Amino acid sequence: MTILDTEARIINVGLPLIVEGVPAADVIQLDWRPPAFGDADVARLALTLENDTTAEANLRAITAVQSVRPQLTRIRPAKEVVPGIAEGRTLLHAGPPIEWERMCGPMRGALIGAALFEGWADTPEEAESQLDRGEITVDPCHHHGAVGPMAGVIAPSMSVFVVTDRSDGRLAFASLNEGLGKVLRFGAFDNEVIARLQWMRDVLGPVLDRTLESYGPIDITSLIGQALSMGDEGHNRNVAATSLLTRRLAPTIARLEPRSEAIEVLEFLAGNDHFALNISMASAKLSMDAALGVENSTLVTAMARNGVEFGIRVAGTGNEWFTTPVGPADGLFFPGYGPVDANPDLGDSAITETLGLGGFAMAASPAITQFVGGTPDDAIAATQSMRRITMSRHPAFPLPPINFAGTPSGIDVLKVLDTGVLPLINTGIAHKLAGIGQIGAGIVTAPAEVFLKATRALARLRGTS
Amino acid sequence: MNTQSDTFLSSRVLHHFYRDSVALMAIASKTEKRDGVILVGAVMATPSNLGILAASDMLPADLDAAPDDLVFVVRGESDEVTLQALDAAEASLTAVETAGAIEKQRPGTVSEGIAAANADRPEAPPNFAAISVAGTYAPIVAEQAIRQGLNILCFSDNVAIDDEIRLKKLAIANNVLFMGPDCGTAIIDGIPLGFANVVKRGTVGMVAASGTGAQEVSRLLDLAGVGVSQLIGVGGRDLSKEVGGVMAEFALDLLAEDEGTEVIIVVSKPPAAEVADQLLDRLERISSNGKPVIACFLGMDDADPAGGAPGVVVRGTLEGGAIAAARLANHELTITDLDPREPIPGRVLGLYTGGTLASEAKILLHRAGVDCEILDLGDDQYTAGRPHPMIDPEARADKIVAAGSDSSVGIILLDVVLGYGASADPASPVAVAVEKARAMAASDGRKLEFVASVCGTSADPQGIERQRSILRTSGIILAETNASAVRFVAAQQAGAFAS
Repeated sequence: MTILDTEARIINVGLPLIVEGVPAADVIQLDWRPPAFGDADVARLALTLENDTTAEANLRAITAVQSVRPQLTRIRPAKEVVPGIAEGRTLLHAGPPIEWERMCGPMRGALIGAALFEGWADTPEEAESQLDRGEITVDPCHHHGAVGPMAGVIAPSMSVFVVTDRSDGRLAFASLNEGLGKVLRFGAFDNEVIARLQWMRDVLGPVLDRTLESYGPIDITSLIGQALSMGDEGHNRNVAATSLLTRRLAPTIARLEPRSEAIEVLEFLAGNDHFALNISMASAKLSMDAALGVENSTLVTAMARNGVEFGIRVAGTGNEWFTTPVGPADGLFFPGYGPVDANPDLGDSAITETLGLGGFAMAASPAITQFVGGTPDDAIAATQSMRRITMSRHPAFPLPPINFAGTPSGIDVLKVLDTGVLPLINTGIAHKLAGIGQIGAGIVTAPAEVFLKATRALARLRGTS
Repeated sequence: MNTQSDTFLSSRVLHHFYRDSVALMAIASKTEKRDGVILVGAVMATPSNLGILAASDMLPADLDAAPDDLVFVVRGESDEVTLQALDAAEASLTAVETAGAIEKQRPGTVSEGIAAANADRPEAPPNFAAISVAGTYAPIVAEQAIRQGLNILCFSDNVAIDDEIRLKKLAIANNVLFMGPDCGTAIIDGIPLGFANVVKRGTVGMVAASGTGAQEVSRLLDLAGVGVSQLIGVGGRDLSKEVGGVMAEFALDLLAEDEGTEVIIVVSKPPAAEVADQLLDRLERISSNGKPVIACFLGMDDADPAGGAPGVVVRGTLEGGAIAAARLANHELTITDLDPREPIPGRVLGLYTGGTLASEAKILLHRAGVDCEILDLGDDQYTAGRPHPMIDPEARADKIVAAGSDSSVGIILLDVVLGYGASADPASPVAVAVEKARAMAASDGRKLEFVASVCGTSADPQGIERQRSILRTSGIILAETNASAVRFVAAQQAGAFAS
């Protein structure tokens, strides 16, 4: 016998000089960078977690996530369906937990608007003082099975999308999308905003709910899957999914509803390219929650921003949030606005990336590739780089430009640390002052710190730290 | 066209012309960067977009545009600037087609490397990892690779001894080598790694706790015509009390089983007392099983087993170890020493790039009672922030030049190491520096003698004959081996003191 017994093939980590004498064909040169973003202590903890127990747990977690097939079944007032929201005066918000005092402008504006909308206060000042005095409880959407874009505020009387997985009856919820411009989710709360919310509560929600009851549940996985082949990525571009949904529901709306209401609803859907975003979010939430609390798993189950902090949750650590201060997105701005106007990153919509849509599915969406540098090739490269930090390909979300391979799905904390690649998130950019609205859109990467914190916690739980 | 205070607003409408808002925002952002341009709007002329323009005072009063028209609006410092910006914005609508080449992502981690290798040639899975990243991270990468069943060459230094012990045990449990840390030289199944000379494949297997020591012995075995079957580095601390020689013993067992290895040599400083007995037991056992064994422990007294019986041959110099190994492999290695020359007054200064070569010189000169200063310029205290002098010979060149103005120095000993990893032309900077040093000494009415040996083989990429001739041309005396160079220096010193 010899030492190797087979042909020598060498992985070279570091200086090319070391393998100068080895035939080039037998060398795999790594483009290596320090693991765990240079934190050697955390890299060692990560190493202790890299074992069969974790691999087995991760397989269970990602299989559970990808087996979920969310159905849009109802559109109901939140107080009827969202657990806990009807207790006292409760409002839900986006992102990890945050006290009213520390909230950013748009989120404060949205909560004031929601208090006015609920009729708890007659003036913004009154609403603000109720919030100041703690008479209104604020709690993350994520703690109630729900998600909301931007400020993500859900009030008890608002209509919400209800998605469910028939196999286990679990539910997830999301607010209805108000469209662009002056809207609550960017912190606006003037009469126009409140009037629209009232119309959504009184007309849009009930009309769509009756329509769904008549039409039957809509399979969201296949809706998104189809939209991905029509240029959506399920987060920043939703025009295909919105069109598909509208097209499916329009005949039923027309048949069931009084003419004027049908026209109002159809006009609203025709004028809101992002209507399907919130459905995509609720579905992603339902899918990811299937892995909540899978012991020993390093799968990220949520990424969310509250305008002050970025947070993630991980399967193996259950409901715990790992947070760090967040900055504004780097992006493209509407005329007249620039980075100085931007609010720090905001919203629950990164739940789409957590599942493998949005920034992860960038390859599917040539129309918005300018966000990642300009060409469809860059979009493909973005998707491929997300492959490096994910557990598998989502079988129901094939991306045509990469030969219909499934979108990279299921972020593994350990892979993020090992590669140093951070999740890419497509996002809208809110003005930092309440009520001005969206001023741009762009790309953010999740901050490294949350993955370091999660690893420390996972290692503590496993007794390896 | 509107003119407001001292800025100018120009617009252009492209009727029935659609572009996605993202594309338009990108064009606006690019156009805004032009000199003299203050603000750019690029939108489809929907009511809400026109509202946005109005809000930032960018809506021309006379704009005639329908929702399916594309509008560019530019506010700038002059009419000319705004018109040129509009032209540029319009031109950006028709992007140049790109070649569409996507750069292939290179693997970044050990597991990605393994996956890439397997995707490329599944029939030949990777079996080795060479690690030369910062010592803080090397143990982490090494552990990842060992777990995947890879043998390790760990070139990185500054690895904690606890990590070394743990990783070596883990490697042995996984039946793979952990060569290092701070291991610069290995030849496995004929494949040279790190700083290795191109030696012919032969029958002598080496276990080495020293880099240039292994190079010197291996190139002398090549010169003897024997060649090397395997050269397993174990790192300079392996035979310490703390590490206990675990990797040396594992490597010896591999060589005992290796079908190409007929003679085994261990090259190292003398092992720690606590390790020596166990190691010698192991060597005795291998030798009694039929593979002759040489322990080349620098500085120890030479010793041979009594009466030709099997047993461990001990040699205290690299040259002696190579000669003994060659002989046991039925080859003679004869080193012809240099003839004495006119002695030069002054002390001996060694400026070495190879650490073990420096040690060998120090030991031999002390034995000969010669007062000397031998510097290992690859030592941390000299390299701080610079590449190793075997890679970057300029570092030593400065020292050589400086020696020219040191009136106490008479003879300077040098090594020139060839092979993979080493500088492409180590001789030239030495030659240039030697001439400068000589000139400086001469201006002071002194003479300097330079003596060197070249650690290389005829197959090394630098071309050993060319390297030798560069050195010779600058008047450097060349010995066949480092030990021979030292003997010459010792003889000269004896002569100098006698005269």
